[in-house]
Amino acid sequence: MSAPRPAAGILPAAIAVFRRELLAEWRTRVAVNSLFLFAFAVLVLVAYVVGPTRLSPEDRPTVNAVLLWIVLFFSAMTGLSRTFVHEEDAGTAAALRLSAPPPGVLLGKLFANVVLLGAVTAFIVPLFVVFMGFEIKEPLLFVLLLLLGISGLASASTFTAALVSKASAKGALFAVLAIPLLLPPLVGCVLATRVAATQADFSAGVDFLRLLVAYDGVVTTAAFLLFDAVWRE
Amino acid sequence: MRLVAENLSRSFGRRAFGPVSFRIETGRVLGVAGENGSGKTTLLKTLAGLIRPSGGYAKIFFDGEEAGDGHEPRDIPWSIGWCAPDLSLYGELTAEENLIFFERVRGRAAQLSGVKALLAEVGLPESSYSKKALGALSTGQRQRVKLAFATLHEPDLLLLDEPGANLDEAGRSIVQKVVSEQRFRGITVIASNDPRDLALTDERVTLS
Amino acid sequence: MQGVKSLGFFLKALLGLGMAAICWAAFLWARPAQSFVGESSRIVFFHVPMAWVSTLAFFVAAWHSALYLRKRRMENDDAAAGAARLGFVFCVLATVTGSIFARVMWNSYWNWDPRETSIVLLLLVYGAYLGLRGALDDPERRATLSAAYALVAVVTVPFLTFAVPRMYQSLHPDTVINTRGKVEMSADIRTVFFSSMVAFMALFYWMWNLDRRVSRIVRERAA
Repeated sequence: MSAPRPAAGILPAAIAVFRRELLAEWRTRVAVNSLFLFAFAVLVLVAYVVGPTRLSPEDRPTVNAVLLWIVLFFSAMTGLSRTFVHEEDAGTAAALRLSAPPPGVLLGKLFANVVLLGAVTAFIVPLFVVFMGFEIKEPLLFVLLLLLGISGLASASTFTAALVSKASAKGALFAVLAIPLLLPPLVGCVLATRVAATQADFSAGVDFLRLLVAYDGVVTTAAFLLFDAVWRE
Repeated sequence: MRLVAENLSRSFGRRAFGPVSFRIETGRVLGVAGENGSGKTTLLKTLAGLIRPSGGYAKIFFDGEEAGDGHEPRDIPWSIGWCAPDLSLYGELTAEENLIFFERVRGRAAQLSGVKALLAEVGLPESSYSKKALGALSTGQRQRVKLAFATLHEPDLLLLDEPGANLDEAGRSIVQKVVSEQRFRGITVIASNDPRDLALTDERVTLS
Repeated sequence: MQGVKSLGFFLKALLGLGMAAICWAAFLWARPAQSFVGESSRIVFFHVPMAWVSTLAFFVAAWHSALYLRKRRMENDDAAAGAARLGFVFCVLATVTGSIFARVMWNSYWNWDPRETSIVLLLLVYGAYLGLRGALDDPERRATLSAAYALVAVVTVPFLTFAVPRMYQSLHPDTVINTRGKVEMSADIRTVFFSSMVAFMALFYWMWNLDRRVSRIVRERAA
């Protein structure tokens, strides 16, 4: 009665949101199932048609690099919008708006999406190696660019999901909005993956890593600055 | 503290409600009456800070604050409790998990014992609130959980939209208890068509 | 009031005559440039200004988006949306003229040269922005969300537009202000080119202003 309640801390809220997202996903397994199935199906299709035996060794790194990121990109488009869209559809967004500090909501959901996309990546990359004869000459570069790449994908996708959650044609609109934001890092990731697959030289890929770090920083900062206006009325 | 609304209105293309003006002091209960479609739910959402007003304002003044220093509801969400048909909690979590989550996210120490006690107070048996997912409960039981959600953090302003909906006699007496407890904490606003809900109010505003 | 109207009329007349003069000069006065196929260098007088204006329009839209989020004035939303609609048109024209040029110079309509890719990216951003606006009915929501998107896009698009081309060999002729800091054009071409740049920017400004005024009238009528 004497004063307004103090604002909640961002990090505890983010952790709570993150844990709830993973718990809900664990219980229902909706996003996980569709993502893993999707990635696997695409890989099987591609491997069958353009498998290692039908590709010359010089072409393999390029084709594999492109296909890997296509699979990851479309997995992101399939599964990462659910985090915000489902809140609006199920009506739980209002409760969250009343209870959580907006940056905490974004941070928690962002981490959850990174984990989800990371899980799909960890699943699909070994399969690529097996089914598509994908060879990595510089594994450290590859791992770093995977981490940076999926962080960038997840950041842009999560923010776009927040934008789209209150619009009408959510499904189609999500991909339409995300593609222009994600083309820069995707191009960088594909080129860098090709470098990692063909040259055992870490320094050849450092420029791309810098590009990705810059991109991740810029997108994440912009998302946090703008999220408050997007999330609340 | 007091809640002041001055020419508050909201339009979505056409006018949803207002302009409406009122003042309500701490310890009192304001009733918002009106036919279906008169904008009661929208008014309550505006008071909760979920919707921006199109015209006028609603402000909360705490003790010792002068006329210019009021707080808009959207800036002090943790001082507000809201329970409405539009409110949904997470269906895949249990009632207990839901409340603990919201306490954590509000930055309050989530005491399991406190949560259990509150859920028992709103009349839910232990087996319902700790073992069953919220989606598996009946509408009346979910309504009780929503009441718990709205009061757990001891808000200064409690907003109840059709609180008696889907509740039996036992449930209604719980609503009464919640409202009388809130009189000691702060302000209550009840929006309803039901005379039993409106009987709990001190003052009334009617929307047309 | 009368003075302002006369000035406006005078400027519009100047723009009209100026554009006509540029069109004439582009085809009949300036000589074709050395390193280009036949007369194809003439397209530079139109293609480059349009590409530049479409990029400029996007920055204008982003600027007004930022202003809207700060002040919540619908005039800024009108300005941003208007700039985006015009920018989209200029972007389509730039892409098409670029493609025609590519066919003449290098015998193929599209090459995925980094510059070409950048203009397509800009086209996608405009499409996305306008698509988002189309999917939102509530004017304030529409203004807020499209403003947020414009701002995220304006910080991410330069990554492809400026970073990647610098890292690769480009089919595109050397940039106007090249690495040595000098402008490498003959005098007549230079005159027409820079006049065209100014004229197209003025054209954009005029059309954008008209669009803003119309938007304001429509909004006031609806209220």
